[in-house]
Amino acid sequence: MQGATLSRWTMSYFALACLMLVAGQGLMLAGYGYPAVAVSAPETLVLVHILAIGWLSLLMAGALLQFVPVLIARPLVGGRFAAPALLLIVAGLGALVGGFVALSGAIDLPLALLPLGGGLLLAGFVLLAAVLAATLLAARPLPLPARFVAVGLSALVGAALVGFAFTLALSGTSDNLLLVRLVADGVDLHAALGLGGWLSVTALGVSYRLLAMFLLAPEAERPTSRIVWWAASLAIGLVAACIPVVLLAASGVTALFAAAFLLTLAAVLLYGGDVVHLYRSRKRKQAELNIRATFAAFGALLLSVALLNLPGVRAGEGLAAVVYLFVFGWLTGLGLAQLYKIVAFLTWLEAYGPVLGRAPVPRVQDLVDEGRGRVLFWFYYGAVAAATLALFAEASGVFRAAVLVQLAATLGLIGELIRARRLCIVPKALRAPVGMVRPHLFLPTFVSRR
Amino acid sequence: MSDASNAIAPKILDVRPILESGGEPFQAIMEAVQSLGPGQGLRLFATFRPQPLFRVMASRGFDHEAHEIEGGDWEVLFTPQQVVAPVETSDNADRPETWPDPSLHLDLSDLDPPEPMVRILAAAETLGPGEVLFAVLSREPLFLFPELTKRGHQWAGNFDETGSAYRILVRTGRAKA
Repeated sequence: MQGATLSRWTMSYFALACLMLVAGQGLMLAGYGYPAVAVSAPETLVLVHILAIGWLSLLMAGALLQFVPVLIARPLVGGRFAAPALLLIVAGLGALVGGFVALSGAIDLPLALLPLGGGLLLAGFVLLAAVLAATLLAARPLPLPARFVAVGLSALVGAALVGFAFTLALSGTSDNLLLVRLVADGVDLHAALGLGGWLSVTALGVSYRLLAMFLLAPEAERPTSRIVWWAASLAIGLVAACIPVVLLAASGVTALFAAAFLLTLAAVLLYGGDVVHLYRSRKRKQAELNIRATFAAFGALLLSVALLNLPGVRAGEGLAAVVYLFVFGWLTGLGLAQLYKIVAFLTWLEAYGPVLGRAPVPRVQDLVDEGRGRVLFWFYYGAVAAATLALFAEASGVFRAAVLVQLAATLGLIGELIRARRLCIVPKALRAPVGMVRPHLFLPTFVSRR
Repeated sequence: MSDASNAIAPKILDVRPILESGGEPFQAIMEAVQSLGPGQGLRLFATFRPQPLFRVMASRGFDHEAHEIEGGDWEVLFTPQQVVAPVETSDNADRPETWPDPSLHLDLSDLDPPEPMVRILAAAETLGPGEVLFAVLSREPLFLFPELTKRGHQWAGNFDETGSAYRILVRTGRAKA
């Protein structure tokens, strides 16, 4: 038994993810993609994939490489593939975005970039999923949070496969009728597998463990948590079942999606109950900022899933606004809130681990400035709410103003992460005891430690 | 440091009034069993030796200990069979059962992580080579384990029966600066 060690490439995943979040919001601020053009326009696809793959998926992948071993109390299997997977995903995203730009006609690039990007992304995500699946396989029977991760990884591979199929059809590489049907009717299921199955189900599972850890709450497996897993898995299963339905051009996709959304709503409500229970049974009196900022994300999750259950929203114009709330209120809000804690903790362990117990060291909370963080999170969530309402109201000027505030808050929070990495906030007397390791901003330290 | 499982007093249920009034106590017993906390036992008083109940309780993971008390009544103590988590050890640990008794006991169960890790590493620095410390924590200290082995210490630990406390023995390795 070795316990959990620092995942070598997690900070690199996080750093690239943050860059992509800034790039995505920068494009929105510049008026690129929706709402200036249609939801299905190539410009919007550029934007959506920078955010879904570049920001959210890299963030989740980096977090899983660090925390799956914590979920199952076993070391990562095949951690040496973490860096190649990162390279494949980043290269794939670059090619895919290049392909979409070619589709938009803005720059004359070869359309072959699309299947190249789709293929590289599929390879990168399969490699990542294989590392995590091999790690999980060694730990059966899996604790409940790890079973959420297993479902999420299946959805990731499903989303990547469907996405790769799209690139074959969109680039004209293949004119197979089945692929054409998939592109015509399968965009919703691709998005549901990616944003719902991969990013959200995984986040729910990991949060069960992390919330209990951060709140010092007992980690009993509650029956409701198991129902959440079943409901979420079934919902993903129903979405996956849409793939053959679409390929065969049969009817029933609408009904399957309606059932999946209803199951998702049930799962989210039960999950909310579990979170409240965890919060009430906590031993830590004052929840830290990362937990408080996470509650706003849970609110956005509940609201957006409830809205998605309205048939009018699913078919109508409000859909883009609800998806915005889901991506920025729920997934991005949760991601930024947890990064705020995780980066500080991992940096503390990397910097002061070698001298713990031998010299006075700062506490983890000495690496962050919660007062500044709190203000930034208020601005962030306020801006997300305003941007969502602006999309509902189709007020694109207000939308861009809100995105400006949102981007500024994000940059501020990333600045706080950098200050934590650089140990800027730590009181001088404690900052650099003899024998500590000064962490690199985002690359692993290769010095061998004694 | 007392074993956590002995700290929980068994629940007491006296079904003699039910039996004396001609009633059937089975439901009351099962309700009492369901209300037991993890690791908690049940002390039952009855007017006869409740032989059939022993099988039922055994199937639910309880051992029994019955003896006759005054007036021909019976007292039975049902105790949950201990499902103790297997002991995990560091890869460098040689036969923890041969380690000396701990010279230091730490109760760190009320501290916020990663404070327990800091305390254990600091305490280990104060011990001589080969000495042992014992600590109780509220969680499995996954990030502590590699720090211990990196410093040449050995460890062995597991969760208690209730799963709410992690006990760890640390045996210090060669003293280093």
